[in-house]
Amino acid sequence: MSKDEILNGLSEGVVLGKPDQAKSYAQRAIDEKVSPLDAINDGLVKGMSVVGDRYAAREVYLPQVLMSANTMYAGLDMLLPMIPTEDLADKKKVVIGVVEGDVHDIGKNIVKTMMTAGGLEVKDLGKDVPITTFIDTAESIKTNVVAMSTLMTPTMDGMKDVIDGLVESGYRSKAKVVIGGPPTSPDFAEEIGADHRDANAQDSVAWLKEALF
Amino acid sequence: MNHLERGMAALGNEEVDRLPAYPIACGINRKLLNGGNGVTYAEWCRDPKLFAESFIAGHKYFDFDFAIGLMDLSVLAGDLGANVRMDDENTPFVDKHIIHSPEDYEKLEVPDIKKGRTNVLVEGTKIFSEKLAGEVITAGFLEGPLLALTQTAGAERVFMDMFTDPSVVHKGMETMVEFDRQMVEAFGETGCNGLVWDYLWANYSCLGDSEYHEFEGQSKYAGMLNKLTTDSGMAFCVHNCSDLPHMDTQVTEFKPVIFSMAYYPLIPGSPTAGEVIDQGYADNCLLAGNIDPQMFIRATPEKISKVTEDLCQEVKTSLCKRGLNSRYCISSGCEVPPDIATKMENIKAVVDVTKENGKVDC
Repeated sequence: MSKDEILNGLSEGVVLGKPDQAKSYAQRAIDEKVSPLDAINDGLVKGMSVVGDRYAAREVYLPQVLMSANTMYAGLDMLLPMIPTEDLADKKKVVIGVVEGDVHDIGKNIVKTMMTAGGLEVKDLGKDVPITTFIDTAESIKTNVVAMSTLMTPTMDGMKDVIDGLVESGYRSKAKVVIGGPPTSPDFAEEIGADHRDANAQDSVAWLKEALF
Repeated sequence: MNHLERGMAALGNEEVDRLPAYPIACGINRKLLNGGNGVTYAEWCRDPKLFAESFIAGHKYFDFDFAIGLMDLSVLAGDLGANVRMDDENTPFVDKHIIHSPEDYEKLEVPDIKKGRTNVLVEGTKIFSEKLAGEVITAGFLEGPLLALTQTAGAERVFMDMFTDPSVVHKGMETMVEFDRQMVEAFGETGCNGLVWDYLWANYSCLGDSEYHEFEGQSKYAGMLNKLTTDSGMAFCVHNCSDLPHMDTQVTEFKPVIFSMAYYPLIPGSPTAGEVIDQGYADNCLLAGNIDPQMFIRATPEKISKVTEDLCQEVKTSLCKRGLNSRYCISSGCEVPPDIATKMENIKAVVDVTKENGKVDC
C-alpha cells in the first residue's frame, strides 16, 4: 500500500468517525515505516481539520465531531509512541481543564481536539480541576498555555483564582492563558487577566498559533 | 393594565400599556424568604412550600408580569438516580451519570413522581399557581426528554451513541418521554396556566435538523408531549437558552404561545431580538429575551438599565416595523443566576426600566 493510500485512509477514517479504520491504517503506517509525524499531520490531523471546517460551516454537528475526535485519538494512541523524543522537543504545550466545581466538559473536549489537531501537545486535566492542579501542572511540565473552561456562572471566579495563583507562583509571564465557555466573554477575560477568550475552538487555536509561533 | 391583562394582551398581540417584563428570576427569589435572610438553595429546592413562597415573594417584590416555576436542570436526572452535587447557594448539577454502557439505557425506569424533587416541582407549582391565580400568568417548567436523558447519561455519551448505536438512545428516550408524560399530567392538575419546556438541544451548535428531529423533535416524542400539554389545559411554551436555536422547528413547527431565548453577540448568526421579530417569529408567538444573565451579577444597575432601555427600543422598533402591537416580553436570555452574588437591584432595574420605556407607540 502506498504512503498516500495510508494517509488517505487515516484522514477518511477521521472524517467518517471510524476508529477501527484509523487504527487499521495507523498499524499499516507503522508496518510500512511511514513517518509517524506525516501519518499524524497528513492523515489524522488533516481529517480532523476537514471535520472542524464542516462543523464551523454547520454541515456536521456534535455527534459527528465527537466521533471524529474519538477516531483521531485512537490513531494518535498508536502513532505518538513511534515519534522519536527529540522530534517532540519543540512542541508547544497546553494544560487544559474545566475549573473546579464544574463537570461540563464537551466544549473543553472539542477545544482539546482542535488544539491537538493544531500541533499542540495537550495535557488534559479533565473536569472539576482544583486550582492548585492547574498551577502545579503548568509549572511541572513547563507549559506554554493554560486553557480553562466553564459552563457555569459560579465557577467563573475559579478562573481568576488560577490566574492569581500563576501570578503568585511567578509562572504567569511564561504562559498564555485562554478561557472559554458560554458565560465568559472577552471583557471577563480582560477583567481576570486572561490573554484571550474566543467563541469557538478553531478560532481559539488560530489565535494561539499566532501568539506562540 | 394589571399583570394578567398585560400578559394576555401581549400573548394576543393586542395593544399594551407597556411590554411585559419577566427576568427569569427563580432560585434567586429564595433570598427574599425568611424575613429577607433567605434560605439555602438546598432547602429551597427540596421543600414545595419554600419553592412556592419564593415565587410569590418574588412577584410581590419585583412586580413581575409572569411567574414560571423553574428549579434547575438536574431534577429529573436526580430522581432517576444520577448523583446531584447540591450547593447551598447555587445551582446544583449532576456529577455522576448512571449510563455507562449501551445496556444501561434499557435499565432506566421512571421514578415515582410523588417523591423526590419532581414532587417538589409539581407541588410547589401548584401552591404558587393557586396563590397567584388571577394576578399573573403562571407556568410550570419541565426538562425536555433529550435534555433529561443527557443529564442522566452525560451529553457526550448520548451524542456519541446517536452516531454509533442510535437504537439505545431511542430506548432511553422512550423512558424519558414516559417520565415527562407523567409530569405533564401532574402539572395539568396544578392549576398553572402554562408549561414551559426546555428543549435545549434544538440548537445548531450541537445538533442539525435531522438529528434533532430523530432524537427529540418527532411526533412520538416532543410532538406528543407538546400536544398533551395543550390537551391538559396548559399553554404550551418553550425556553431555549442555547446560542443558535432551531427557530423554524421550535417556533414555526411546534407553535408555542411563548418562546424564550438568549442572544450571544460573539456567536456568528446568533439572532438579536430585532432580527427574530423581523423574521416573523413573533407573528404568532410571544417572544421573550434576551438580557445576558451575567449582567445580573457583574453589571452595575446603571449598566443593566441602559441595556434594558436599548432592548426596549430595539424591540419596539421591530414590532412597529412588523406591524405588531406587542408579542415581546423583556426578559433575561436564561435564568437569572441563583448565585448569592446576584444583585437584586439589577432584577428590579430591568422591571422598572421596562415600565418606563416599554410603551409601544408606533
